[in-house]
Amino acid sequence: MKDGTAPVTLRVAGREHAITSAPGRRLSEVLREELGLRSVKIGCDAGDCGACTILVDGVQHCACLMPVAQAAGAEIETLETLDDPLVAQLKASFLDHGAAQCGICTPGVMMAAVELLRETPAPSEAQVHEALGGVLCRCTGYRKIIEAICALDTPAVETRPEAGQAVGAPVRRVDGRAKVDGTEVYGADHVPLGTLLVRAVRSPHFHADFELGDVSTWGARRDVIVLTARDVPGENRFGTIPGLEDQPAIAEARVRYLGEPVALVVGAPDVVEPLDLGTFPVEWHPLGHSLTEAEGAADDAPQLHDHRPGNTLIRGRVISGRPEEALAGSRHVARGRFETSYVEHAYIEPEAGIAWLDDDTLVIQACTQAPVLDRDETAKVLGLPKDKVRIIPAASGGGFGAKLDLSVQPLIGLATLATGQPCRMVWSRSESMLASTKRHPGTMEAEIGCGADGRITGMTFHGDFNTGAYASWGPTVAMRVPVHASGPYRTANFRATARAVHSNGPSSGAFRGFGVPQAAIAQESLYDDLARAAGIDRLAFRRLNALRDGDRTTCGQELHGVGLGACLDALAEHWHRATHEAAEFNAGATGALRRGIGIASCWYGCGNTGLPNPSTIRIGITPAGQVMLHQGATDIGQGANTVITQIAADAAGLPLDALTLVGPDTALTPDCGKTSASRQTYVTGKAAEAAGRALRAEIMRRTNLPDCDAIEPVEGGLRVRHGAQVQDVALSGTQTDELGYAIRVEETYDPPTTALDADGQGTPYAVYGYGAQIAEVEVDLDLGTTRVLHMIAAHDVGRAINPQLCVGQIEGGIAQGLGLALMEEFLPGRTENLHDYLIPTIGDMPKVTSILIETPDPEGPMGAKGLGEHVLIPTAPAILNAIRDATGVAALNKVPVLPHRLRAAIRGHA
Amino acid sequence: MRYERPATIEDVTALLASGGEKSFVLAGGTDLLVRMKNDAFEADLIVDIKAIEGMSDVTRTADGFEIGAAVPCAALGENAELSRVWPGVVEAANLIGSTQIQGRCTISGNLCNASPAADSVPAMVAAGALARIAGPDGRRTVPVQDIPQGPGKTSLRKGEFIEAIVLPDPGPRSGDAYLRFIPRTEMDIAVVGVGVQLTLAEDGSIASARVALGAVGPKVIEATEAAETIIGTRLDQPALDALAAVCSEVSTPIADKRGTVDFRKQVVGVLAARAAKIAYQRAGED
Ligand SMILES: Cc1cc2nc3c(=O)[nH]c(=O)nc-3n(C[C@H](O)[C@H](O)[C@H](O)COP(=O)(O)OP(=O)(O)OC[C@H]3O[C@@H](n4cnc5c(N)ncnc54)[C@H](O)[C@@H]3O)c2cc1C
Ligand code: FES
Ligand code: FES
Repeated sequence: MKDGTAPVTLRVAGREHAITSAPGRRLSEVLREELGLRSVKIGCDAGDCGACTILVDGVQHCACLMPVAQAAGAEIETLETLDDPLVAQLKASFLDHGAAQCGICTPGVMMAAVELLRETPAPSEAQVHEALGGVLCRCTGYRKIIEAICALDTPAVETRPEAGQAVGAPVRRVDGRAKVDGTEVYGADHVPLGTLLVRAVRSPHFHADFELGDVSTWGARRDVIVLTARDVPGENRFGTIPGLEDQPAIAEARVRYLGEPVALVVGAPDVVEPLDLGTFPVEWHPLGHSLTEAEGAADDAPQLHDHRPGNTLIRGRVISGRPEEALAGSRHVARGRFETSYVEHAYIEPEAGIAWLDDDTLVIQACTQAPVLDRDETAKVLGLPKDKVRIIPAASGGGFGAKLDLSVQPLIGLATLATGQPCRMVWSRSESMLASTKRHPGTMEAEIGCGADGRITGMTFHGDFNTGAYASWGPTVAMRVPVHASGPYRTANFRATARAVHSNGPSSGAFRGFGVPQAAIAQESLYDDLARAAGIDRLAFRRLNALRDGDRTTCGQELHGVGLGACLDALAEHWHRATHEAAEFNAGATGALRRGIGIASCWYGCGNTGLPNPSTIRIGITPAGQVMLHQGATDIGQGANTVITQIAADAAGLPLDALTLVGPDTALTPDCGKTSASRQTYVTGKAAEAAGRALRAEIMRRTNLPDCDAIEPVEGGLRVRHGAQVQDVALSGTQTDELGYAIRVEETYDPPTTALDADGQGTPYAVYGYGAQIAEVEVDLDLGTTRVLHMIAAHDVGRAINPQLCVGQIEGGIAQGLGLALMEEFLPGRTENLHDYLIPTIGDMPKVTSILIETPDPEGPMGAKGLGEHVLIPTAPAILNAIRDATGVAALNKVPVLPHRLRAAIRGHA
Repeated sequence: MRYERPATIEDVTALLASGGEKSFVLAGGTDLLVRMKNDAFEADLIVDIKAIEGMSDVTRTADGFEIGAAVPCAALGENAELSRVWPGVVEAANLIGSTQIQGRCTISGNLCNASPAADSVPAMVAAGALARIAGPDGRRTVPVQDIPQGPGKTSLRKGEFIEAIVLPDPGPRSGDAYLRFIPRTEMDIAVVGVGVQLTLAEDGSIASARVALGAVGPKVIEATEAAETIIGTRLDQPALDALAAVCSEVSTPIADKRGTVDFRKQVVGVLAARAAKIAYQRAGED
């Protein structure tokens, strides 16, 4: 925006700054781009997320909604400019309570908290709710944030475990400091001088052919470079699953979803930012389109990909026993049809990144969950050898699965190759919601039977999943769903099939649970029907059928270390209390409010389904005694950096703080695979355990001690203790390898799985995690609204490597499960912002009681299992079952259960 | 884009009168800035009214309150006297957005944005609020419901803007209330909003009432027939049922992703009854 009014002077933390930006420019942009105050995050540019919250004269404001002129003369404070004891205390409390996961919301949250705490040093939970109502967090489920603010004055419980004691200790995140200081570098935060800005010209149609006009003249007139599919030097196709790469980086002649890029515009930021892309020369020829799985599968549906007839991407199935016969002979049979919606990941950080050339290597620093995939696919698209692309993952402001796909990487890479200059791209909220992947909408039909004794006899299941325009992770959903559709219950006779169908909706990809949360809604709802029909308490019914050690799954795999029974047993007392309380409340109810309780379980296999997915960990010790842990697993907030370090430290016998993290960085860290499928704690953790052990053995070889209790780095080497014996291992002056290490170990682990046969039989996963949750809800019968009052979650994590991070995952998963159940519905073309697409706020979040069960897994590192996705699987079905309990409505078969849907169901029932 | 921060009301009207088609008053900017970003349009002229002397004041007058057009909604809640006399209006204004939005947004902006779902508008209509308009030809005062004309449209003429909202004193034994329906607990656009204001006779029956409905038509609906159903009653169940039924009947909502027509009609009745009960109780305590 250009205009002629007098320049603005801003006062930030007592210092005056003359501003060159126009007075109408947003304060958020001025603070970030002109003053370099990058703790001010931009999540939506519309007042919806609060990531840009700063203090103006001590009061919280969204900097994105303030023209800089309106801030003139006021005192402005941002997280990095605050330097007082209260803030130091708040930061320490956030670290101690694990209140920052990915950390992208943390600066905004803290600014809101500072305003509150200055007035109210010991706030109540209600006051925290009030003060933080305008800041969204997608990771934590808000509980740890509330605790960190309310328990500010309780002395910090800093655990600095002794050598060998790190696993099991609730240690602070090893990478937490930068998050609470606001100095963490996310995809949009590294901007060297002279960086060019890249914007995409996107399709306004769901499905269309197009012809580009004279783009070079258009660009030349505006002083920008235009890049199109013709400029892509390599193979213009990327994907996530080998053999199914089908997505062009820039569309060629046809677009298949709303928002698909057809060109890039590259130039100086002050030119590109205000550019009106509406004048870009392109002629559209719209085609018919489909948006749902039913529309995509219809006979006359427009076909998206030539080689995929019927728009079928893939089918998956698991068959065991004789399901039809078993159902026919069952005393009770429940059947139902269930529909779920597109769900948006809605991480607070829209996709962003920067690329530059380091000699002849293309370096990309962007948000991601899969650096090696990014490297390989970007190299292919850009026609470069893999070793000429280096991926340095930026800190990720949330991922939840969608950052397992490429986003900005090939685009900024292309722009950098074309210009030779550093190029960055920062997607707006609506671009992010248009172009990122979603949770698969599903239409599922299931039938389950049980005997008079309540034992499950058999089950059939079919699910059609809308995989959108491109393959992305659709195949994974089509395989995972049949494998998990029985739930963690003994089901001897079983048939589950799934089909991934293309439509012109956004591509569905990975989202915490890969289809399993959707399937669990069908199965757990029908379990409630069966329990009622059989006259058995709903928890007891699940306990009766729960998988146990030695049982075989529907894939024929024998299980060990099954902790589901222990989870359900741990919930029993809560279940009885909640049953009693709800009954008492309802007996006295005269108004429209009724309470109900529900329960559901989960299981989830950790790692890729029947496919190799190795991780490699390297540890090196320098001659000066510094221990370097090369850790390539991306930490998207879940805590991989911390957990892997804890495991490696204990396995090696070193104190936790002796390890220095290196990476992730494809030039510095070996491949640790993707941060997906709840695999990092298990798979990379197992590699870290092996590497730690190998390191310890290497060190021991240099002593003549029989064993050791602890190793510590000392000046120029290491000190090894065994009882009263102490021996030093001198490293200074020793010969080093090509990486500069005196000692180096590297260990790889790949889960022992087998490929599944045509009937889905085999060993798809080596490790499973289990859990169960109770929901207590209150429903307004007249308005159809549901308030979740309390969730009680018991999860078998095998071994809680870091109990605090485990609880953080549970609370965050519950928040997302609640959104799935009650409010989140992405409608393509209608909800590409955070005021039409609603995610839970602090006020929606119930109290959570977390119970960690530790039934060791024989395969997992130190007994550990995965947890990241498990946590949201039971939430939605538990809430749905609780709503049915409160209202008596027979079936809720579409999520989210929006108030108007529930009202219609209540009315239909009455 | 030209950005101006005039110091007087005359400068505002002069600027607006001379400005191009895309000239806008800027108060809190919580609608305008979002709209400019979403619709990616460049304004010709923005006239920021926050620097005008007195525009950010809430004034107690002999027969009511005057709320300057630049007063952020948060300031309404902090005004004890206003909160005591017009709790429903203040609650409605304080439902807008989050704490951050509260510090910026104004009820004049809420009115002039002309969204059918604007929260403060049904409460203001129920309260009998007036908008004082300044223009190139002087001042005029109109009932607030005359301002919005449909989504995004107002009756303001070229060069005009609202300088203040006037809330008259309601007299003794009066109470007001505003309730809205949203699927999330906070930070959401009303699916239905209902404002009710009533005054009791000495005997405790309802002497006069005003009911206004939001988000169930292209603009706020002043439901006179609905108000009549409770006048003369003590808000017993039949009166509440009649109120709910008429509110449902006079509503003309659209169906969208936030709710079906049936649902909105049902909810408007439920909320009207609930809001009336709160207003009745407040009037009784007055
Ligand atoms: C995150 C978020 C949440 C929101 N939640 C709600 C909500 O819950 N309920 C709700 O009702 N609204 C909500 N809104 C919308 C908005 O905040 C309100 O409408 C607010 O009251 C607008 O006031 P403002 O001062 O910010 O208006 P501005 O954006 O400054 O102006 C709005 C419009 O009115 C015009 N205008 C402003 N003042 C005058 C005047 N004095 N005379 C003539 N024209 C004028 C402007 O030119 C513009 O067209 C929300 C907005 C955001 C960003
Ligand atoms: S970026 Fe300002 S509220 Fe989201
Ligand atoms: S920690 Fe809050 S959004 Fe990630």
